[in-house]
Amino acid sequence: MNWLRIVRAELRKLTSTTMPLVFFIVLVVIGAATATAVAFGTDMDGSKTFLSTAADQQSLMAFAANALVIAGLFGAIAVSREYGHGTVVLTFLTTPHRSQAVLSQFAAAFVAGSMLGLVGAGISAGSVAVGLTATEYGFMLSVADLLRVLVASALAGAAGAVLGAGIGALVRNTGGAVTGTILLLIIVPPLAVQMVSETASWVPNTLTNVVSGIDNAVGAGAAILALALWAILPAGIGLVSVNRRDVV
Amino acid sequence: MKQNQFRISVENLTKSYGDAPAVDDLSFVVQPGRVTGFLGPNGAGKSTTMKILLGLASATSGRATIGGLTYGELPDPTGTVGAAVESDAFHPGRSGRNHLRILADATGTPAERVDEVLELVELSHAANRHAGAYSLGMKQRLALGAALLCDPPVLVLDEPGNGLDPQGIRTLRALLRERAAQGNTVLVSSHLLGEVEQLADDVVVVNQGRLVTQGPLDELRQSASRVRTPAPDQLRITLEGAGGVVEAEDAETLVVRSMSLDEIGESAFNAGIALHELSHHTDSLEDRFFAWTGEDDEPGTQRRSYELASHR
Repeated sequence: MNWLRIVRAELRKLTSTTMPLVFFIVLVVIGAATATAVAFGTDMDGSKTFLSTAADQQSLMAFAANALVIAGLFGAIAVSREYGHGTVVLTFLTTPHRSQAVLSQFAAAFVAGSMLGLVGAGISAGSVAVGLTATEYGFMLSVADLLRVLVASALAGAAGAVLGAGIGALVRNTGGAVTGTILLLIIVPPLAVQMVSETASWVPNTLTNVVSGIDNAVGAGAAILALALWAILPAGIGLVSVNRRDVV
Repeated sequence: MKQNQFRISVENLTKSYGDAPAVDDLSFVVQPGRVTGFLGPNGAGKSTTMKILLGLASATSGRATIGGLTYGELPDPTGTVGAAVESDAFHPGRSGRNHLRILADATGTPAERVDEVLELVELSHAANRHAGAYSLGMKQRLALGAALLCDPPVLVLDEPGNGLDPQGIRTLRALLRERAAQGNTVLVSSHLLGEVEQLADDVVVVNQGRLVTQGPLDELRQSASRVRTPAPDQLRITLEGAGGVVEAEDAETLVVRSMSLDEIGESAFNAGIALHELSHHTDSLEDRFFAWTGEDDEPGTQRRSYELASHR
């Protein structure tokens, strides 16, 4: 019962500022760009073969990689700003058992991130559908494939938000948390692949594509597990750091 | 008056950052049913002590307990202790009402209590405005509202009068006195000496992390005697020999501590020294504060800032 109350309070924190609206606007802007690209974009030869098959359209709609990064930034900003504004004091006064407080924050980030991913994928799919009306091609994705794109994006969003929240709890500074999240999700993976090519199958971008059904570098179950590890590792480090340090 | 069982007890508390102790073997007790002022210059260790008491910082050694338990051990921490330790701990884009609703959610407090508390701290009119647009005084009221939300028997407030207008100070004073009169435990840190003088029953004074003095304010202020004599030098030697702590107030008048009026009179009589006046000497809290913390050694520096603060 306590857990539910605390997670509910954390969710209210996330939804009682303008931050979700700002992120929603970002998703809409990305959706508008996608619709425009579908409607007016062409291949090098001037054709529209990039959306001529169901697999092509699934690639266009797959939002999981974006969801991972966007929700990562959401989680990082949400948690680090708690330290920046000092509202974390209230968190630890109401929940002095720090692990419980931090895990509740992560749980709320998980929920918010999955929503962000789901909404982002929904907007993306809708944008592709709208863009397709201006072309000679129809909407070819099966319901099952569409559901897979949506679920993959929700999972990636949840993982990204928990990853970002972990970095936020570790770094405590908004600029540092955002930088850390970008480093971990965007900068470090390609460098790692350059150094050790075998890692290519396990970087976030590949994993989200596997979960979305547009890559088969590894099995879907393994990809989900690996994605979860990408989130759990920074979250775990953040949790340990909060337990070891003074709050203020 | 029904007193609660929640005595605040700080026992041999030490907190060090590297080699520098912020709190150094500090011990004191805050009794229920009284308002206790927690005084000390900036950097004296007041906030650190409060944060350790509230489980926000760890102690290097020693304990700080509420009713015999650390904050983290309390079965219902927010139902037991209402705390305001950061006057600016608000998300600027969140409304005052939502700030309290988050606390209500986390503690299982009915939503109606949020409106009651907003009324109590006179913030109903601004409840839906973003806290970032609040004045310092309004933020203090909101922090106080958060502390009072669960109607706890213990209040721990760090500089709650800071930024309040005179009306706000009066309201705060009445509220804290009422809480103490109901048997609740109230610990209030402040550098507003005039405010503490009117508010506190007891004071705990710290300086450089160490306890300087503690006790009922009236006793501490009257713990000196004024003696006027035509032979001040001879009397000083006599009283210091008898264990008194003697300061010269002017050419003929001495202020004596650590001796009762009877002891001073008898010592003077036995030494054959005439006394023209022997009376209780009541210092202002400000005078006592500077005597306790030894900041009179640097006249015109720190004292000036406290004098300004005490007359706000």
